[in-house]
Amino acid sequence: MATPIGASPTYVGNPSLQNVDGADKITGRARYVGDMTVPGMLVGKVLRSAVPHARIVELDVTPALAVAGVRAAITHRDFVDNGPFGWPVRDAFVLAYRKVRYVGDPIAAVAADTAEAAQAGIEAIRVTYELLPVISDMAAALDPGAPQIPEVSPTGKGNLCATHLLRNGDPDSLLAGGQVILEATYSLPHQEHAYLETEGALAIPEPGGGVTVYANCQSPHIARDTAALVLGLEPSLVRVIQPFVGGAFGGKDDIVYQTTAQVAKLALLAGRPVRLVLSRPESMAASYKRESMKSRITLAADSDGTLRAAKVAITVDSGAYASMSPMTAWRATMHAAGAYRYQAVHVDTQVLYTNNGYSGAFRGFGNTPASAAAELAIDELAERLGRDPLEFRLQNCLRSGDCTMTGVRTPGGAGLAACLEWVRDRSDWATKRAAYDEQRAVGAGVDSRRSRRGIGVACYFHGSGLGGEGVDFATARLAVDADYGITLTAGLTDFGQGSRTVFSLLAAETLGVRMDRIRVLRPDTQTALDSGPTVASRASIVGGNAVRVTAQKIGHVLTLAAADLLGCAPERILRSGEAYIGPAEDPISFEAVVDHARTMGLQLSADGRWQVRPIEWDFERGTGEPYFAYVFGAQVAEVEVSAVTGRTRVLKIWAAHDAGTILYPKGALGQMYGGIAQGLGYALMEDFRFEAGMPQALDFDRYRIPRAMDIPDIEGTYIQMLPVGTGQPPVGTGQPGGPYGAKNLAEPVMIATAPAIANAFAQATGRRVRSMPLPLWNG
Amino acid sequence: MPLVFTLNGDEIRLDDIPDGMLLVDVLRDHLGLTGTKRGCETGTCGMCSVLVDGVLTRSCRTKAIDVAGRLVTTIEGIHGPDGALSDLQAAFLEHGAVQCGYCTPAMVLAAEALLRRHSDPTREQIRSAINGILCRCTGYMQIVDAIEATAAVRAGRNRRTGQNRTAGRRSDREQER
Repeated sequence: MATPIGASPTYVGNPSLQNVDGADKITGRARYVGDMTVPGMLVGKVLRSAVPHARIVELDVTPALAVAGVRAAITHRDFVDNGPFGWPVRDAFVLAYRKVRYVGDPIAAVAADTAEAAQAGIEAIRVTYELLPVISDMAAALDPGAPQIPEVSPTGKGNLCATHLLRNGDPDSLLAGGQVILEATYSLPHQEHAYLETEGALAIPEPGGGVTVYANCQSPHIARDTAALVLGLEPSLVRVIQPFVGGAFGGKDDIVYQTTAQVAKLALLAGRPVRLVLSRPESMAASYKRESMKSRITLAADSDGTLRAAKVAITVDSGAYASMSPMTAWRATMHAAGAYRYQAVHVDTQVLYTNNGYSGAFRGFGNTPASAAAELAIDELAERLGRDPLEFRLQNCLRSGDCTMTGVRTPGGAGLAACLEWVRDRSDWATKRAAYDEQRAVGAGVDSRRSRRGIGVACYFHGSGLGGEGVDFATARLAVDADYGITLTAGLTDFGQGSRTVFSLLAAETLGVRMDRIRVLRPDTQTALDSGPTVASRASIVGGNAVRVTAQKIGHVLTLAAADLLGCAPERILRSGEAYIGPAEDPISFEAVVDHARTMGLQLSADGRWQVRPIEWDFERGTGEPYFAYVFGAQVAEVEVSAVTGRTRVLKIWAAHDAGTILYPKGALGQMYGGIAQGLGYALMEDFRFEAGMPQALDFDRYRIPRAMDIPDIEGTYIQMLPVGTGQPPVGTGQPGGPYGAKNLAEPVMIATAPAIANAFAQATGRRVRSMPLPLWNG
Repeated sequence: MPLVFTLNGDEIRLDDIPDGMLLVDVLRDHLGLTGTKRGCETGTCGMCSVLVDGVLTRSCRTKAIDVAGRLVTTIEGIHGPDGALSDLQAAFLEHGAVQCGYCTPAMVLAAEALLRRHSDPTREQIRSAINGILCRCTGYMQIVDAIEATAAVRAGRNRRTGQNRTAGRRSDREQER
């Protein structure tokens, strides 16, 4: 049956689609950077600070060079201008300059023949400190007498790293007139990414003075540009290749750019390849975390349950360096009052330097803690109003056409109510809620040793893409090869989340060819065009659109060739499978069309670029349009709290995410389940704590992440469009501009989990918590 | 000291293995079998898991000399009868159980160890069997699905060939050892 090009999706949303890298991974053939060896390779090792805050008085690596087997040793002196890097604030160094600011700060590095020699070299380095007072909490950071952590304050106000504001209407007058007011402060902890592959890089010096680095970073072009700048090399002399990456979740940006530059320098000095892979304790100390955050929320509602206004004051602990905290804090600011209709909202945010490690990007990027706080507050407010928390959310949640808390209409459809209704109905919410309320009322008097159950809900919205964080574009390159395979080069990358599969299926779908023709090159700064960073759940949307645009270009050329071959107008060409069919209904093969295109002299390769519609956010005034689109979702958690151990166990989670068109169903569900697992850890066990700047857990015994037995079965769905013919209007969730109507999903799917669990805990125990992870219940 | 053991069906003879050398280092650094990963080197994350005489074993907590004369299976030794993917490996891909892939070899081996001694595990028993191996990507759901599905297919095959489905089943407590 002939169909017009692109009319009948074969791969988009196909439930049987598998990960294109699956066979390499399931057989153990996939090579991660720590698996790679090359002849003559040296072992790299970094000396890191054991103190949270000190001035470096003396630093001498010459004793290390005297150690047998040590081939190179470096400090900040080996980099241009002492090796500064970082965006949006350039306050970090490849190796510490003048000061160390956190436990794990890199000071010097060596390359040696063996790991033992490298260790001996590290131990031989002479470093003496003048200890400085440690700023271990945000409250102390702004004390007039507090020592300034950065050499230059980005705001000119000591340890104040950045500020943001949001201004929508006049909440103060509404708060004054609101009949029910809630004012509370919520604390969210640092969270460790805990990707199972630690950070690492392998650098190989190249003839001509350049260097090639295999680095497990998220964004190779940023790694290259950072390294080139501090090495004093032309970017073309630094080539960064991303091998298989064992998880990232936002965590393999800055720390790996830093590692890349260190290893590249060692390799250039030694004239030999150098591989450096961080140990687990080293990774846990040195790498950046999800920011800890305090959010003071004031909400007002009428007695009929209509939300009126919100005021939120956020403080973000950026730790020793800015990293992405100014941007995560901006996203937090844009979401701080949750996915609800308000008449007025003000948010004020401060980002502070402390000596608590450093904070940066992590799944949800500021919205995870901000929405957790908002969802705890909304639940408390519902309770004060005597309202069911889920029905209260349904009454006030954003619907298509509503304005978000920034006062701007949501572009495209909002499927949040559909998500809330789905989790309500699937979880048998009303029955369980009533039963557990009764159990608590009765249980308190009868048997204090009985476990209690509770069921809780949370929901979210999440701005798509970078928004005001930067220019949101991506590129792709496609070429038809001599064997009729098609090589795809994408600037955005895959560190486990499945982007290579999504890019392959989009190219195949758009070109109307078999998916196994598509070969995705490994991300390589020498072959891929810069596409900005692979962050913000934007790979499928922005990167996917770039692939689609590029495939359309080649598809157009092939249609011209088919029309020429069949002697008809291009509009008359139909497709059946891969075949091209003209008016005579005689199918010709993809290969024949490719061959004919070549005889016509047509070029069967193309570059494509796609950019998100520009948005405008006025950072000074706190007004504007922060994102080009939003996604939505809701989750319900059912928990059991043991009266004996005090522990909370999650019995089941129901999750619905408004995702427009699902491109790769297995991958999308995997993102949801994985995000929920990280959210469960955030609620119940993950707390990367610092005491006087000292990290309290540097291994998986003390920093626990969820194991298989900690995670319940999850019933998850993606709300797409209502089936045609139901008589109801479509939910309308397709994202204008997303490839085939797809929306973002990888990050936001984790946002509701922790607050839903905490809200369930509150029902079970009658105890409201305002910090995570949840405490043990002691009756 | 010399070390002789069977690795993925082949006899391995190493002339000079230091006394304290770990199995993970012999596998990865001496034999180039990098499918076995390092994740923490304190025996907590399970990335380095291999089978020793069919029992799931952390190779970062096992001295190489302790496997002398024993049968060691790594991910490189797992495949179907025709050398292609095993049914379990195929099920992992069919169920979307592979994301970054870093824990995948250990997960496959843990599942294989479970299915060899337990032909119809419950989901809780599957979770228990893989509890020693961390995964940060998947939330374990699709991994449990894949193992459950493989068990069902194998049980059906065994039923057809008349094997006793519960042969070799032991208590859960024993299985965790």
